[in-house]
Amino acid sequence: MTRDSMLFLGFIGIFVVLNAILLVGGYLDMSWTSLGVITAAGLTVSLYSFLYRDNPLFKLAEHIFVGVAAAYIFGIYWYQSLYGEVVVRIFGIGDDPATMTQRLLLLVPSVLGLLILTRMSVKIGWLSRISFAFVVGVGAGFTIPRYISAFLLSQIEATIRPITMDVDGLNLLLILIGVVSVLVYFFFSVEHRGVVGGISKVGIWFLMISFGASFGYTIMARLSLLIGRIRFLLDDWLHVM
Amino acid sequence: MERLLNIDRRIIFAFIFVGVAVPLLIDFSFPIKPTEPVQRVYDEFERVASEDDPVVLLAFSYGASTVPEMQPMSLAILRHAFSRDIKVVAICLWPEAPGLAQAALDTVAGEYGKEYGTDYAFLGYKPGLWAPIINMGQDFHDAWPRDTQGTLVGDIPVTANIRNLNDFNLVFDFAAGDSIEFWWIPFGVEKYKFAFSGGCTAVMAPDLYPFLQSNQLRGMIGGLAGAAEYEKLVEIPGSATAGMRAQSIAHLIIVAFILIGNAAYFASRRRGAA
Repeated sequence: MTRDSMLFLGFIGIFVVLNAILLVGGYLDMSWTSLGVITAAGLTVSLYSFLYRDNPLFKLAEHIFVGVAAAYIFGIYWYQSLYGEVVVRIFGIGDDPATMTQRLLLLVPSVLGLLILTRMSVKIGWLSRISFAFVVGVGAGFTIPRYISAFLLSQIEATIRPITMDVDGLNLLLILIGVVSVLVYFFFSVEHRGVVGGISKVGIWFLMISFGASFGYTIMARLSLLIGRIRFLLDDWLHVM
Repeated sequence: MERLLNIDRRIIFAFIFVGVAVPLLIDFSFPIKPTEPVQRVYDEFERVASEDDPVVLLAFSYGASTVPEMQPMSLAILRHAFSRDIKVVAICLWPEAPGLAQAALDTVAGEYGKEYGTDYAFLGYKPGLWAPIINMGQDFHDAWPRDTQGTLVGDIPVTANIRNLNDFNLVFDFAAGDSIEFWWIPFGVEKYKFAFSGGCTAVMAPDLYPFLQSNQLRGMIGGLAGAAEYEKLVEIPGSATAGMRAQSIAHLIIVAFILIGNAAYFASRRRGAA
């Protein structure tokens, strides 16, 4: 028996013994909620076992997660969207208040949606292009003006406000220097020498600071998730908090 | 020095585990000082509370993978809203969100004795990313004809008089993805000009600061730290406040490892040059 096999069996043994102690000690009762807690604890520990090495328990937990998530999302999509918003409204099931015109209008996106499924056939797959053309056209039509307004015009306006002699003014000045220097850094039509080179170096510093801030926030986010899981293990499962 | 540079990553994992677990078991606290973006969210809710018959729209756009960050934030915001008698309409723009939103609403509504229909309503999930936002801006009842229990929104007191997004005193999005940046701001705020704030995971927070500067986002709660700051403002410590102990110690451990790693790297480089 290899060292990893022994660790694997040892882990399962400890997990079973711990749960037996929790059940006998009255920390967990014989209920569906407790079964859920034990299952969640087992899956959490199995997933974190990857930190030691890839192993069958991690793979099992990973596959269960993918399967459950896919089924859950399908259930939500079916009951709240496909059935609740399309089938019920088109066929007037129950006391749905939709008028005949609204029902007929709903047929248009429904047919376009069904046409996308024709991609599975070589013979009639070309029909899906009608739906994709609609999606691309409508998407571009909606998105381009909105993005220009939200991400360009509003941001430019916020960047070039009058600079005042206070802390807000200093912030504005920093933002202005940052925006200009980073734009110069990404301006490749001129060789980065002399004044242009100096400004682009300032731009690099701004970029590095922003990458550092993003990385710091990312660490904080990942640790928050770890804290959530450890809190669950210590409190809901082991009852030691 | 070479040993330090080639340290087994599992040793670092062990340190982080201890750094997170021990502070959760020992009761102590670090000072939590609300930052400006979080304070602005609080001030927005206070402004809403001072208006006549206030109603806010809360959009839940997160799933199970970000619960430790987002659920404390949702609970803190709901507690603030219900404690100030602000009516709440909840929607979901992520398919995983309905169960989490329902749990948060049930918990906090129970704490404050709020009644479904008159004090709050839950309309469930709608697909389409930004499309429902455009739809809500035009006709709210057309976008959400029924709540999760099948009742027509026109028959629910809290939603009966809502015509579009401008009828809400504030719209707030709990975002684990890019819903604030790429859905609500371009297709909602820019188009219909309503008051909007958001809470997001820490990963998303740096991308949203430019929108605070331009006031497209009136306030922002970023990650577990933001949630803890909000708990401090509403004076109801919750899981975010408790989590900040572990977060702070784990950050110190990471900073220590970064310093040790860099010191070892420069020392070995100097030795190599010599």
